Amino acid sequence: MKISSDSEKILHILVDRKVKPGAFIKVYRRNSCNLDKTINYFLNYKNLEFKYDACDLNYDFTRNNWNSSQDVIDFVLRNKIGLLSIGDDDYPDMLRQIHLPPLLLFFKGDRIKKMEFSIAIVGSRKCTAYGKEAAMYISKNLSEMGIIIVSGLAAGIDSFAHRAALEGKGGSIGVLGCGIDLVYPPENRVLYEKIPENGSIITEFLPGTPPLKSNFPVRNRIISGLCQGVIVIEAGERSGAIITCEIALKQNREVMAVPGSIFSPSNKGCHRLIKEGAKLVENIDDILDEFSIYTGKIFKTRQENKFSSKKEKENKDHDTNLNGNELRIYEYIGYKSKSIEDIVKYSGIEVKEVLRILAYLEINGLIKEDSFNKYSRLF
Amino acid sequence: MIFKLDSFTLEGIDAVKVSVEVHLSRGLPEFTIVGLPGKAINESRQRVRSAVINSGFDFPVKKIIVNLSPADIKKDGSFYDLPIALSILAASGQIQSEIWNESYFVGELSLDGNINPVSGLISMAEEALNTGKNFFFVPYSIAEQVSFISDIKVIACKNLSEAVEALSNREKTEKFVYKGRSVVDKHFCYGFDFKEVKGQFKAKRALEIAVGGRHNIMLIGPPGSGKTMLAKRAVTIMPDLNLEECIDVTKIYSLYRKNVSGLIRERPFRNPHHTISRIGLIGGGINPGPGEISLAHRGILFLDEFSQFPRNFIEDLRQPLENREIVITRNHFSYTFPCNFMLIVATNPCYCGYFGNDSGKCVCSLREIKKFWKKMSGPIMDRIDMRVSVDRLPETSFTNTEYDESSKIIKSRVNKCMGMQIQRFKGSNIVCNSEAGIDTINESVKDDKKISDLISMISRKYNLTARGMASILKVSRTIADLEASVSIKEHHVIEALNYRVCFNYDNDSDASINCM
Repeated sequence: MKISSDSEKILHILVDRKVKPGAFIKVYRRNSCNLDKTINYFLNYKNLEFKYDACDLNYDFTRNNWNSSQDVIDFVLRNKIGLLSIGDDDYPDMLRQIHLPPLLLFFKGDRIKKMEFSIAIVGSRKCTAYGKEAAMYISKNLSEMGIIIVSGLAAGIDSFAHRAALEGKGGSIGVLGCGIDLVYPPENRVLYEKIPENGSIITEFLPGTPPLKSNFPVRNRIISGLCQGVIVIEAGERSGAIITCEIALKQNREVMAVPGSIFSPSNKGCHRLIKEGAKLVENIDDILDEFSIYTGKIFKTRQENKFSSKKEKENKDHDTNLNGNELRIYEYIGYKSKSIEDIVKYSGIEVKEVLRILAYLEINGLIKEDSFNKYSRLF
Repeated sequence: MIFKLDSFTLEGIDAVKVSVEVHLSRGLPEFTIVGLPGKAINESRQRVRSAVINSGFDFPVKKIIVNLSPADIKKDGSFYDLPIALSILAASGQIQSEIWNESYFVGELSLDGNINPVSGLISMAEEALNTGKNFFFVPYSIAEQVSFISDIKVIACKNLSEAVEALSNREKTEKFVYKGRSVVDKHFCYGFDFKEVKGQFKAKRALEIAVGGRHNIMLIGPPGSGKTMLAKRAVTIMPDLNLEECIDVTKIYSLYRKNVSGLIRERPFRNPHHTISRIGLIGGGINPGPGEISLAHRGILFLDEFSQFPRNFIEDLRQPLENREIVITRNHFSYTFPCNFMLIVATNPCYCGYFGNDSGKCVCSLREIKKFWKKMSGPIMDRIDMRVSVDRLPETSFTNTEYDESSKIIKSRVNKCMGMQIQRFKGSNIVCNSEAGIDTINESVKDDKKISDLISMISRKYNLTARGMASILKVSRTIADLEASVSIKEHHVIEALNYRVCFNYDNDSDASINCM
């Protein structure tokens, strides 16, 4: 992978000259976003350390044990890590527009270069089964339409959103709160390896940066910054997801929320967002509606498909060869879940035969086990 | 004056002959027992003295030395009260008998001369049989335990005076021969039945299969769903113990508690609490005894709240599950206890217990649930072929009983299923499907194209490992046996799919939790 000269110079200023990224951006903006001018300014200026100390984005790159920027470049080249600077053409436009854009992006995978329309899915690290299902459902459907799903590669909702998105053609972008060479949390190791195949993982932190607590709110601005909108699933009253939403609103992005149980504390944040005006997401169309400018075409074809797929399902019913008892049980089960006991009593068929039929219907994707020993129809 | 008669000591589950030698000599009155006696034997001096006096005999005022030979084996227990008392009486010339050399003696004396039960009687009887003596003097209250042995005459005595009477001449001896009821015909009943479990069809069917193929099984369900009730009833559908098995079980139980009156006919059901100690579970101790796994020999070991058992205890089960016996080795000895049990474990699905229940009460995050399952030991989970979900039933299910079969009906099916397996594994040391190697099982499906297609489809769809698939095939084999089908058919494999709970909260290979 090639590294542009701009990237090298910025890395030099940040690592060797110890300039805070916030200071760099301040000067960059003052120079009407002329990168060359900014770089020259910093290269020629001595004694910068004190002048721009009090800026918004003052995290300390020097906390890493990198002796020089050349070491970083060597490391990046050796490990086949991509590096983009704010001046590069591939740098996402959406991100360039935010208040404090990251100057450098370390990345793996190529999705970052072809970003058109992307949506972030964020939520609790401690999600419930409901949250998981919601995240997987939304993420998978959006991804199948070619929409890129951005999330934070954390445990819980994030990981499920990524996992489902990888199945679709949109793929997924994971934004890290640590160096690109670290895996955090460790249980997402497999996702780390899989995402670059159908997406990217990116970070603005230098390789080797540990997942410090303070990194995550900083990272959140990139998640919302990369996307047209943010969908929140299962966020507590004070959580990272809510911080992301606040940043998203400042960045002029859409915020949507998936509702949950009113008794569960893990949905309080989402419900507050809805009360404050976030769009309530019940299905995919709710999301597409909001972004009809970008998705007009997808939305239309989807509506048309809906009718044809209904027909397909009807055909499917006839296609699957269900014999008498199988059909009887299948028809009895219905969409509200029925227990094995109910099915046996209704049909009068032997238990072992009922169990066989249920397993048969399940492997053919016609029914699913909702909760222990209770089944409902999928079609 | 010296006198000698024979008794036994216990080494693990086996009895070893011990000679009780008494020497009365002049000197200051003294009563000493040598030959590595334990505390209970040393105390026997006081019991013997009182019993002898209270039975109307004289206790000799002499220097009494009792030796238990072989002298280098550690001995403990109260078997020697009766032999010591009798040999002292004989040595002091108070009683005579022709049958000293043809007899064995065991029994604990109480102060009034009554003979109390001792442990391990059945092992001793077997050893007595092997050595070819005629008479075996035992406590009356537990004589039924050994009455099945016809080649040796069991002399059951209630007290010391009776023992002396029985020894006086051969006619009298015959009078005391124990004539118990024929044990094998004795009717027994567990006191509970599968009929009492309403609904829970899947779990019942699963237990039938599990017992049929001796598969270890895990019941997963919220509190109050009836896991314990179901597990307890699994013994009622196991085939009745035959005489040999009865002896096996009684042997272990007679080590464990003294008052085993007759042969044990019921299959044991052991349900240890999770605060059990390691030795309590596996066996061992200063005087090595059987642990819960051996007490569950030929029956069921039920571990309720499986997740609460300390992990290393559970790991200890690995070898016994494989070898069906446990070798307890310490500094000076190595004893083997049999432990051929079927394992049933029950657990909640998560910390709060309500995951998978449709009440929506579960408050656990997926991460917590993952953590919960991660605690379960992988190698043990490998040995559990079936996982079955059990859920609470609504009240309406408690009224309709026409579908609830009695244990007797289920047992007859299980018996047939076992018969199929005995035929199949004839000539090998395997007895049931769960022990069969995967090659053996594969043999019955390899020619069937339909089955192999189905298997590859299933393993793809459920992301099953080879191990998980092997379990499914073994269970299918048992289902086929229940139907008396020689080959595994498609519908057997499909039914077997019911008996693996997949939580599906993680599809990644490295995180595929122990749910197959």
